[in-house]
Amino acid sequence: MNISLKTADSLLDAEYSPAPGLYDEMCEAPGHFRPHWEPYASALADLGRNEFSRRWQTAQQYIRENGVTYNVYGDPRGIDRPWSLDAIPLLISAREWQRIEEGLIQRARLLNLILADLYGEQTLLRSGYLPPALIYANPAFWRPCHGLRVPGDRYLSLMAVDLARSPDGQWWVLSDRTQAPSGAGYALENRTVFADTFPDFFRELRVRRLAGFFRDLRDDLLSLGQLGKTQFNQTKPMAVLLTPGPYNETYFEHSYLARYLGFTLVQGGDLTVRDSKVFLKTLEGLKQVHVILRRVDDGFCDPIELRSESFLGVAGLVEAVRAGNVAVANALGSGVVESPGFMPFLPGLSMRLLGETLELPSVATWWCGQPAAGDYVRNNLDFLVIKPSFPGLGMEPVFGGHTSGEERRSLLDRMQDRPWNFTGQEVVNLSTAPVWSQDSLESRRVVLRAYVARSGDSWVVMPGGLARVSPSLDSPVVSMQRGGGSKDAWVLSDGPVDEFSLVRPRHEPVAIVRGAAQALPSRAADDLYWLGRYAERSENLARILRSILVRLTAEGGPANHAMWNALVETHAALESEDSRLGEDDRQQHLDFTLDFEQEILSLIFEEQRRDSLNSNMNRAWRTAASVRDRLSNDLLRVVSQFSSLARVDNDVAWGYVPPPDALIVLNRCLASLASVRGIEMENITRGAGWHFLGTGRRIERSLQLTGLFRALLLPVRPETWPVLDILLEICDSAMTYRSRYLTALQPAPVLDLLMNDETNPRSLRFQVLDLLSHCRALARMLHAAEWPLARQTQLEKAALRLFNFDPRFFHKAYDSPERREFDNLLATLESTLAVFSDAITHTWFSHAEVEQRA
Amino acid sequence: MIYSVRHETRYEYEDPVSVSHHILRISPRDTPSQTCRFRRISVSPRPPRFETHTDYFGNTVTLFTLAEPHASLTVEATSEIEVIAQPEPDFASSMPWERVRDALARASSEDAVDAAQFVFDSKRVRARRNLAEYARESFAHGRPLLDSAFDLTRRIFQDFRFDSKATEVSTPVETFFEKRRGVCQDFAHLQIACLRSIGLAARYVSGYLRTIPPPGRPRLAGADASHAWVSVWCPRTAWVDFDPTNNCVPGDGHITAAWGRDYNDVSPVYGVLQGGARHNLHVGVDVIPEQ
Repeated sequence: MNISLKTADSLLDAEYSPAPGLYDEMCEAPGHFRPHWEPYASALADLGRNEFSRRWQTAQQYIRENGVTYNVYGDPRGIDRPWSLDAIPLLISAREWQRIEEGLIQRARLLNLILADLYGEQTLLRSGYLPPALIYANPAFWRPCHGLRVPGDRYLSLMAVDLARSPDGQWWVLSDRTQAPSGAGYALENRTVFADTFPDFFRELRVRRLAGFFRDLRDDLLSLGQLGKTQFNQTKPMAVLLTPGPYNETYFEHSYLARYLGFTLVQGGDLTVRDSKVFLKTLEGLKQVHVILRRVDDGFCDPIELRSESFLGVAGLVEAVRAGNVAVANALGSGVVESPGFMPFLPGLSMRLLGETLELPSVATWWCGQPAAGDYVRNNLDFLVIKPSFPGLGMEPVFGGHTSGEERRSLLDRMQDRPWNFTGQEVVNLSTAPVWSQDSLESRRVVLRAYVARSGDSWVVMPGGLARVSPSLDSPVVSMQRGGGSKDAWVLSDGPVDEFSLVRPRHEPVAIVRGAAQALPSRAADDLYWLGRYAERSENLARILRSILVRLTAEGGPANHAMWNALVETHAALESEDSRLGEDDRQQHLDFTLDFEQEILSLIFEEQRRDSLNSNMNRAWRTAASVRDRLSNDLLRVVSQFSSLARVDNDVAWGYVPPPDALIVLNRCLASLASVRGIEMENITRGAGWHFLGTGRRIERSLQLTGLFRALLLPVRPETWPVLDILLEICDSAMTYRSRYLTALQPAPVLDLLMNDETNPRSLRFQVLDLLSHCRALARMLHAAEWPLARQTQLEKAALRLFNFDPRFFHKAYDSPERREFDNLLATLESTLAVFSDAITHTWFSHAEVEQRA
Repeated sequence: MIYSVRHETRYEYEDPVSVSHHILRISPRDTPSQTCRFRRISVSPRPPRFETHTDYFGNTVTLFTLAEPHASLTVEATSEIEVIAQPEPDFASSMPWERVRDALARASSEDAVDAAQFVFDSKRVRARRNLAEYARESFAHGRPLLDSAFDLTRRIFQDFRFDSKATEVSTPVETFFEKRRGVCQDFAHLQIACLRSIGLAARYVSGYLRTIPPPGRPRLAGADASHAWVSVWCPRTAWVDFDPTNNCVPGDGHITAAWGRDYNDVSPVYGVLQGGARHNLHVGVDVIPEQ
């Protein structure tokens, strides 16, 4: 049937023409939809182009605001790139999916059996079903993992398979991902976006849900913990998701999955091994970990027994597994079967191990370790893609036909010398699918990453997956690293959609938990503390810059000499080491106005400048990103703006930003910072994490205030009188001052309001009192004995002496001993604050020490 | 011969180490030519427990963790070992080396499958064309494997100089091959690389030499520290050792500690530390024949 959607309002009215000779997922022929796409096409037609566009814009807004990112290595714009998701899903019919599903489960069973044999009896190796070179030349075969205890022989808890369709409509396996497959979290996030954007479609088209798959995965991972010899006293085993950290390409999904599965997100440094057991370092002490879902590759998991150069793993992890005290999923060493060299052996192994024909074929593959296959590859180089058989060979897959001259000779030489290192594969002429690009449909190549998870004694397949599209129709490679995009994959159901998993009744009543639900890793506490400090530092900086910029660019410039001096002093209070202003140009002339303006713009925007607002906001964002699993979505949405708020699209051009625009940027930054504070106050439970965040904020603001007092207030002279006004503005206390003292600006009452007034949330006294109440709470929650009480007492004393000082010394001579005395008191408080901050760091975050090897 | 062996490793750290994890491969293994009658490891400060297992190559591996701050670490392994020199196989009547190479490639017996793991590149030893060329001078067409391997041992001994200052633990084979100076580890890695470059199976053997030579015999290089040599796989005779640093076939003066593909598989003491800054390392080995 030909459903023409060429109505004026239809989405598909820009004619979609699939490329000839290829299999198109949507159309059998131009204008002819495949039957399972028809309901979707007509639903789109009902929706109308305008509504579709509107909804999709909202969806993209959501992706940006939720900080859905994919890190691209070597991207000069920083590590986070917004996730690229296409507006058109990939639809797969129920009948077709059933075949794929069966094939995927068979493959998972097979690979699991192969792993159990390789790391166990090794019958396949000894009886010649697998050649030694495929195992022994493969650095992904980890000898220390041989004979490790794997509960129930469950080597694979979650595996991924990349599928592609050839022009005849047949699906082929391109590669297997068996150690720490990525993308399942992105698939889930994609689905969330679509479910929010097109909720009606899911009901009407009977699209199968993903939630059940993840629940099965979670339940199965938790049950792994119980298969080992560990006995649990708790009702629930402690499960963590081990991530390489925020610089990993898929860090976003690590935190997303951790949160979705209810696992604690940890980095290697958060864990430690004692007595062959794995523990999480938390503020409350060491907590035993029973299950590790890892996103760290095999070799990097343990620097003691695996790759000694790894800083991502946990020293002693292999021994903990050997002792049966922790379950790691997927099992350590399971990456060995990712080698494409296994593919030619799978049909035979399937017969031998399962007694079944392999249902889902691999793309035609020749492992050169077999002489005849090696000859074939060399003779047919032009038609094959040549891949490294094993990781770590320092080579990328190459299209044989694209090589020539020296490169080709060198490749052939290496294939002659070490044939087992090379695998030839047929190039699949990938199928195409429509993508929505600038209000029209274009054709792109598509690959589907599908997921299989263990569920008790059987397996479950995610009904969907992560579809990825090539950057252009001509590009034969589909890769997120190379700028491709993603699609949501919709598996359609013939019958009613099983919604059971979404509203699955709980078997047991949930225990009531009060206080912090999860142990807080020390590193997370450290990050929260610094989030508080960077946020506060950014705010202070933005306020200072705004107060200067407003006056500098006021009509006619700064009104008088006193104002000039005040602005110069205010800037000097920043003590910037990277200042663009020379000592000698502090005079009132036109050039200086321009230089000063440039300096302020640089302090706002310049990415390379360590003390710029941009840098500080970025630090706050980075710190928040590494504890993103502990922050609410609302908070993350706001914090994720931090990285772009003070950024100009082209860094070179920051000097050309008009001051009024710069002011808008400063106001936006301040609004953003204020909303983070609001969420902090209203939406975060008062656990240790919240108190560390508050401690960071109060220490930072105290330091900023003492700094401002020393730089601006103390040396105030008739020539710099306007500085008092600026100071009140920076400290957001101008209104209060005016209501109390009308317009008479004098240093003593200013100081009283900003230092002593405990009702003023911007005063120093308020900071110190609040800091102490955070400290009391933390000392109660944590091991009180370890709290740096002596340092805290020092701080209290220094603050008390300062607050008792009579502020009326300002009436005396400029160089009176009282001023010097006051300066000393401020300096003392500053240094006790710094010492106290160090003490907290040493007591609670000291594991941040870098490991070394000897 | 019966030996008493003492192998001491001592680290002194500039700053205290708060937590350390160590892995040891210093318990001499049993081999067809040696029996370990007694072995003990003592560590100071004393760890709460030791974990011991046998690794993929059959070596004894010991792990321990110190979770209390420590400013130094001493690991002492003592053992008593009986070495019975095996009769030297007749090199001239060993199988032609090409047939051994082909047997490894076919890997049709379990022995050959196991030996085949020592043919391929490992972390520290990679096959190279220039090393294959160097090896070929000893491996003439049809020449018996052991004869050729011993000739290669002799040439490496002649072409390279023992020099304890020239290289470090991490020096790659290629550098040693250019500079032509180094220690037993470099000699062993080079010979293994040469053998693997022409498709033969060779493994790295770590062990000890007697500290004071028998009367009238020269003191061997490497006698005051742990030593290393190579072992070559030959069907029927199985593994035969060669010591390129001393140009000899190890007899009852060589005591085997462990073997693997290269140094990384058998490094005697390796640790991951928190804190410590820099450290000083002292290693002492005493090998005394018992009367």
